Amino acid sequence: MKSGRRRLSLAWVATIPFFAYTVLFLFLPAGSVLLGAFQGVHGGYTLSNIRVLFNHPYIDAYKTSIEVSVVTAIAGGLLGLAIAYAALREGTPKWVRSMITTFSGVAANFGGIPLAFAFIATLGSIGVVTQFLKNQLHIDLYGHGFAIWSKTGVEIVYLYFQLPLMILVIAPAIDGLRQEWREASSNLGASSWQFWRYIGLPVLMPSILGAVILLFGNAFAAYATAYSLTSGTVSLVPILIGAYYTGNVLDNPHLAQALAFGMFVVLALMMVAYIPLQRRAARWAK
Amino acid sequence: MAPSAYVWLLIAVAYFLIPLFATLLFSLRANATGKCCTSESYAWVIHNGDFWHTLKISLLLAVETIAISLAIFVPTIYWVHLKLPRLRPIIAFLALIPFVVPPIVMVVGLLDVYKGTPSWFYAQPWGFLVAAYVILAFPYMFFSLDAGFRSIDVHTLTEASQSLGAGWPTTLLRVILPNIRAAALAASFLTLAIVMGEFTIASLSAFQTFPLFLQYVNESQANPAAALTLLSFGLTWGAMLSLLLVGRRRGTRAAVITGAR
Amino acid sequence: MMSTFTKKYGIAITNDNPDGSSAQENQAIRSLKGDSRAPDAVDVGVSFAVAGTIEGLYQKYFVSTFSTIPRAMKDTRGYWWGDYWGAVSIGYNGNLIGNPPKTWKDLLKPEYKGKVAMNGSPLTSNSAVSGVIAASLANGGSTSNVGPGIDFFAQLKSSGNFIPVGTTPATVASGQTPISIDWDYNNLAYTKEFPAAKWGVNIPSDGVYGGYYAQAINATAPHPWAARLWQEFMFSDQGQIIFLKGFTHPARFNDLAKRKKLPASLLNALPAPALYAQAKFASIPQQTAAKAKIATDWPTKVGS
Repeated sequence: MKSGRRRLSLAWVATIPFFAYTVLFLFLPAGSVLLGAFQGVHGGYTLSNIRVLFNHPYIDAYKTSIEVSVVTAIAGGLLGLAIAYAALREGTPKWVRSMITTFSGVAANFGGIPLAFAFIATLGSIGVVTQFLKNQLHIDLYGHGFAIWSKTGVEIVYLYFQLPLMILVIAPAIDGLRQEWREASSNLGASSWQFWRYIGLPVLMPSILGAVILLFGNAFAAYATAYSLTSGTVSLVPILIGAYYTGNVLDNPHLAQALAFGMFVVLALMMVAYIPLQRRAARWAK
Repeated sequence: MAPSAYVWLLIAVAYFLIPLFATLLFSLRANATGKCCTSESYAWVIHNGDFWHTLKISLLLAVETIAISLAIFVPTIYWVHLKLPRLRPIIAFLALIPFVVPPIVMVVGLLDVYKGTPSWFYAQPWGFLVAAYVILAFPYMFFSLDAGFRSIDVHTLTEASQSLGAGWPTTLLRVILPNIRAAALAASFLTLAIVMGEFTIASLSAFQTFPLFLQYVNESQANPAAALTLLSFGLTWGAMLSLLLVGRRRGTRAAVITGAR
Repeated sequence: MMSTFTKKYGIAITNDNPDGSSAQENQAIRSLKGDSRAPDAVDVGVSFAVAGTIEGLYQKYFVSTFSTIPRAMKDTRGYWWGDYWGAVSIGYNGNLIGNPPKTWKDLLKPEYKGKVAMNGSPLTSNSAVSGVIAASLANGGSTSNVGPGIDFFAQLKSSGNFIPVGTTPATVASGQTPISIDWDYNNLAYTKEFPAAKWGVNIPSDGVYGGYYAQAINATAPHPWAARLWQEFMFSDQGQIIFLKGFTHPARFNDLAKRKKLPASLLNALPAPALYAQAKFASIPQQTAAKAKIATDWPTKVGS
């Protein structure tokens, strides 16, 4: 009995390096920022920074950020799932899988000015695709009010790193979708749609939902791409934070920290939703 | 191959490659005439000393980040799977946090907290920046390694190894590690991509890394910026593919073991 | 400027964060204090120079030519000095714009639909803020009332003329931003850099707004003497003329003109002096007020 307890406490010790590292380099810095949110410009503690968040334009920034994040998370989730399944299922050559996963690894971290410019060069007012559509197919995108620097444009561009992230995250779950199940279901006469409706989606759903929440967080925190694309006219929270921390114009770090605190709250709510989903996914993964 | 697979893969290829193609067209334009086709922009990049200098720094940072991350996370996750399974959900939860903290918030916190530390840590990218990058890589590392550990039988392998007389280090290095090779490699790719793409933290802490060079060229040059974008994309992708090939050649045996689910 | 300095004095210069914003530069002084990576000298917007002085980020120094810098462009206690100034201009792509805009009012013409861009967002870019103030001057506002400027851009956006793409060399060269509102020295530099775009520059005659940037030496500079030498060089005749080569008006422009030290070729490369003579500058309190108003009004009136 006594030796059992001793062994257990030794086991915890082995995880100390990990926890020490996360405390030092994750919690301390994050904590100092959260604390700063409640500080006034002249020292002392105040709730005024937080109260300001509920006014325009800050509340609008939160609304836009959440909307863009939700849209790209769901779209990225569904499309990413379809592409990942196509790449990883039986019957697809192995090299396709390697190509798609390595490309996704790079593309998931591709952002900022290069990505913005790539899409401006593609779907901008004189972009390659825009001109092709106008000249060859007589579809005038910009004439119909489309613009790559609108909220929709930002969503289209965000998918460039959301899709790969979805592919990377859902790949292990798809691998777990055993081929035997697919074969068994088609042997029993089920169509592809029925396979998905009764077996595929229910099995994958916890992982899908978990992944979608990750995608939400990823889009919510993204900054450089939207800024380069729209010069800040699509009002997003990270862009406001950037303006207050690093711009040439405004300089109020505590307000920026309050904005960051607001982001933490939104993300924390999302993560709280993630825990029960993760538990269910673990059940299926075994 | 199923027809629906073709369709989706075609859509993926179109969406991902067309913007890169548009960038390529722009990178081949001559500065003086604005028309195709010349390789002068690529020549400008390749002959630029800063390009090689910052590329080397970033690749070294990536290697260091991967090494430190594996050294911290592999033993920890192994231990959790072996002895402390109840800790796993807690660590999984922690793994989400760096993923959703905006880097811009993180860097200011880091700069504030570590201002007084000795210069061998604070002033060097090999210290301060790597510390931050390990945290950034943590979620990817955790989810990959965790999946890897879940797909092998940790208890059986450990017991077998120990009953044959191996100590903990031997067990970890020569029994466990080869079996999670695929997962560790996947985690390493992603870390490489992260370090090669991370801008905010490096910029605000005034280190000259490759992404900073990329940003600077994008803000001051036209066609060379496009050339540089494609070169960096290609280089990172190439590095990842080569890691994959290295892993595949030596790891086929491990793959057979893990694939038997 | 930097290569001439290095050649002359043999001191290497590291240009850290060449496109960094003023806030980042001040932040670098704060965060890297005591570190050898800390900047020796910074080039910041005036409001940041003032804030930095109050915070104690800079050290005093009087360059030898201090007395010839206009009073309005320096801190009399010697903490910062304006090094060059420019005016807000309208740059345009000669291939795509047949009828170049000459005034702020011109920009509203329907022929410029989807063509007018700025150098960033006025929430983060000093150049864009100056663009808004300049537009304000042309629309019944003043350096202390930037409201009409914001309304002008709101109108420009609703008419579809304004595109929120931030101008970069790539967008200029590719023709994605055929008209760009930016500092004259930036636009004039594009004329040289991208001959294929046939870039031209006009100073809008109905609203000329000037702005300048300031130099300061880090109070805890790792190499204070090198920093001072750098400032001496920058404010010497040779240094100031190099600024002129970069299409800017050096701070000691009037002094050099009086002593007939300005090469005619460089003067001719700039737009007409008569327009520059009209340039209005905003004081620091006015700039602060303008930025505050933009911070609250721009996202609602011009943002989506």
